[in-house]
Amino acid sequence: MLNRRHFLTYSALSSATFAYPGLFRSAFGQIPGTRPLRLAVLGSEYRLGSHLQDIADRFLVGYPHDGDWYKPDVQVVSVYVDQHARIADARPSSYDISMTSSAGSFPFPKEQAEQRAARNAKGGAPLRSQQREEEPASAGDLSAARAKQFGFRLSHNIPDALRCGGDRIAVDAVLTMVEQDSQLPYPANHRGQILLPSYDFFQQCVQVFEEEKHGVPYFNHRELSFSFAEALRMVETAERLRFPLLAGSSMPVTWRLPDVDIPLGTNVEEAVVVGFGGFDAMAFDALEAMQSMVERRKGGETGVKSVQLLEGDDVWKAAEAGRWSHELLRSALSRSDTPLGLTVLDGRTQDLAAPGVLQQLVPNPIACSIEYSDGTKGTLLMLDGAIQDFNVSVRTTRGEMVSTQFFMPPKPNRANAACLAAKIEQMYQTRTAPYSAKRTLLTSGILEAAVNSRHRLNERLETPHLAVSYQPATESQYART
Amino acid sequence: MDLVSLYVDQRKPGDLSQERADRHPRLKIYPTIAETLTLGRSKLAVDGVVVVGEHGVYPLSPTGIMMHPHYEFFEQITKVFRDSGRSVPYFNDKELSWKWDWCKKMVDTAKELKFPLQGGSSLALTWRIPSVEFPLGATAKEAVSVGYGGPGSYDFHGLETLQCMVERRKGGETGVEWVQTYRNDAFWKAYEDGVWSQELVKAALSRSSTLRPADPTFTDMFPSLEQLKKLVSDPIAYHYQHRDGLRCTMLLMNGLVRDFTFAATIEGQSKPLSTQMYLPMPDGRTTLASFFSPLVHNAEVMFLTGKAQYPIERTLLTSGLLIAGIESYNKGFQKLETPYLADVKYQPNPESTFWRT
Repeated sequence: MLNRRHFLTYSALSSATFAYPGLFRSAFGQIPGTRPLRLAVLGSEYRLGSHLQDIADRFLVGYPHDGDWYKPDVQVVSVYVDQHARIADARPSSYDISMTSSAGSFPFPKEQAEQRAARNAKGGAPLRSQQREEEPASAGDLSAARAKQFGFRLSHNIPDALRCGGDRIAVDAVLTMVEQDSQLPYPANHRGQILLPSYDFFQQCVQVFEEEKHGVPYFNHRELSFSFAEALRMVETAERLRFPLLAGSSMPVTWRLPDVDIPLGTNVEEAVVVGFGGFDAMAFDALEAMQSMVERRKGGETGVKSVQLLEGDDVWKAAEAGRWSHELLRSALSRSDTPLGLTVLDGRTQDLAAPGVLQQLVPNPIACSIEYSDGTKGTLLMLDGAIQDFNVSVRTTRGEMVSTQFFMPPKPNRANAACLAAKIEQMYQTRTAPYSAKRTLLTSGILEAAVNSRHRLNERLETPHLAVSYQPATESQYART
Repeated sequence: MDLVSLYVDQRKPGDLSQERADRHPRLKIYPTIAETLTLGRSKLAVDGVVVVGEHGVYPLSPTGIMMHPHYEFFEQITKVFRDSGRSVPYFNDKELSWKWDWCKKMVDTAKELKFPLQGGSSLALTWRIPSVEFPLGATAKEAVSVGYGGPGSYDFHGLETLQCMVERRKGGETGVEWVQTYRNDAFWKAYEDGVWSQELVKAALSRSSTLRPADPTFTDMFPSLEQLKKLVSDPIAYHYQHRDGLRCTMLLMNGLVRDFTFAATIEGQSKPLSTQMYLPMPDGRTTLASFFSPLVHNAEVMFLTGKAQYPIERTLLTSGLLIAGIESYNKGFQKLETPYLADVKYQPNPESTFWRT
């Protein structure tokens, strides 16, 4: 299994060349409206249902937006699929095969490796070269078909995707979707974090940006990194090199049922978000959903001082001890359209918050208890088995409760991603992120702290490093028109 | 509020009524409608009535509509009202009846006996995505709804989707002059000829959450006309004109979508008003049919206040449109004059009643 690939150290190049933002911008020689914005797409795997497919396709065929089928003024010019490179890396070289007379137990079909070896033996083709004659792809990979249909370059590496085969940067924006690969999974560390190479993708782009003194708007789907330290470096690098960075989940920008937000500057006492699915896969989306609301509280975001992950009965005991509000949970659950248990059995409506119901439905409850620096409390409850949607309830210091469901339209459309695509394009076109990447910096950090708490047997962890301050967008950013 | 009595017309395998009665001891099951209302005594003994007359199996009418017993129930219920010298608020789910004269009689009887009658489709009351309302008093030029299902069932939802919006136009509802149904080849010809606005259909479809991709390697794409024809094998449109000139078209596009969307051209607005009437459908998308919550809530408010929350004339008109739409189909897609629908005039509830808080 491959380790994460580090191509450079992030501070290897001097930032002095970026001293003059004017110079930097002049390189962005495009006048809006003269030609479509050129986009490089970088991601893990281009298969039906992957985030890469879901979001990148929207820049190819358009998406529903603001009451129309909207065709973005964007042209995808290059796509890099990490899976191709990883499959190639995982294959035996012809040297390996000649030495062992076997393709071994590599994670890619043995036949293909053998065919390649046979071809190499016949034609005397060189060993692994930078220009592979064909893209190794898994079953279900759509990238070659899309490249043919839409005429973009399928790049073998990230710098090539940015330079489109030339020697200068040839794109106006970057879209990255790094996610777990269904064919060739990225490894996990001892704390159970999947080592997704978002940071490596970013650093490879930054290397190109720095070499050419020209940075372009960058979108990073979902977590910035599993490591807060890396996430922080990403945000700092974007600030230093002055290119816009947008990150995160679609939950903060999707439709809400009902269409409500907390008014900017509200005094917030406590928030509870309820989510479903595995903690490692889905907790991030729930955290982002809650954060997109609580960041609007009075004073804006000032950071998080402690995080604790609770599991099993400790989750319910924490409610009894007043660590999180059962009333807020009840209010959040009332927004769900997906109660499980008896509703599935015979269609009945039921009060999931009634005594004992959740205990019966949820075999492995998880709570992530968040203490914000300003005293606001936040709790993420992953109640897998009770519901299948994301719902939040926020209590103001005046005792009012604001609750809503973050709408996840059904498969296959999953039009919440259309809401996100619109925000991404807004950043590309205006060179300004519609909301701060520090939100995702903080949620990435909270998630890492939660995993650390789990690893330390659910210890409460002080998080002085999460003193992340930022101001929310003045206007609500979720879809409502 | 207590649910005290229950009458179930057809009990088949999977029937849940006994399970519900066992779990809710105040709920008694009665063998007749009269006893359900009198609780087995001589006079009306309840404060409100809910009638949900569908999902059973009933014979088809000569025009092919399933003869759900809404009217027969209504007759029995109003007999108890008359015999008791007292009437109570009445909720009738979905259409009034499969026969126009009966629809009309139900509304007239409710007026005569002075009880609030409220009904229709949950589509008129559910969440909207986005959460927008037809501006009261605006002038509408054309409106469409796009939905799914077949004639005699979900067409009613598509008609209510349209009517709950356009009834708010300038002057209120004026009635409908004529109806014409299009299906299959006639549908596509009308589609291409612009009998209804393709732009509005596109605006409505851009609100759908269930657009089936024409190319199965995509997950969200807008179909070309050629692709549309392949996806939708049996399209249906009820195209009709209101007396004030407004043209409406209710489209059922099975194979393309599994939700209900709306779009209208409104004078003075640069782009169409469009939205989705959100149907959290427990067919795998959700587990609970929670579009019934707003329907039930509005019924509850009627029971508590004794006032209908939205006009029964809306449902009278949509019931009539359904009947006329199917009749036009049966008469070879003729354009049918509908003088009886031209008489359905009413004003909307100025306050919105769709679910939004």
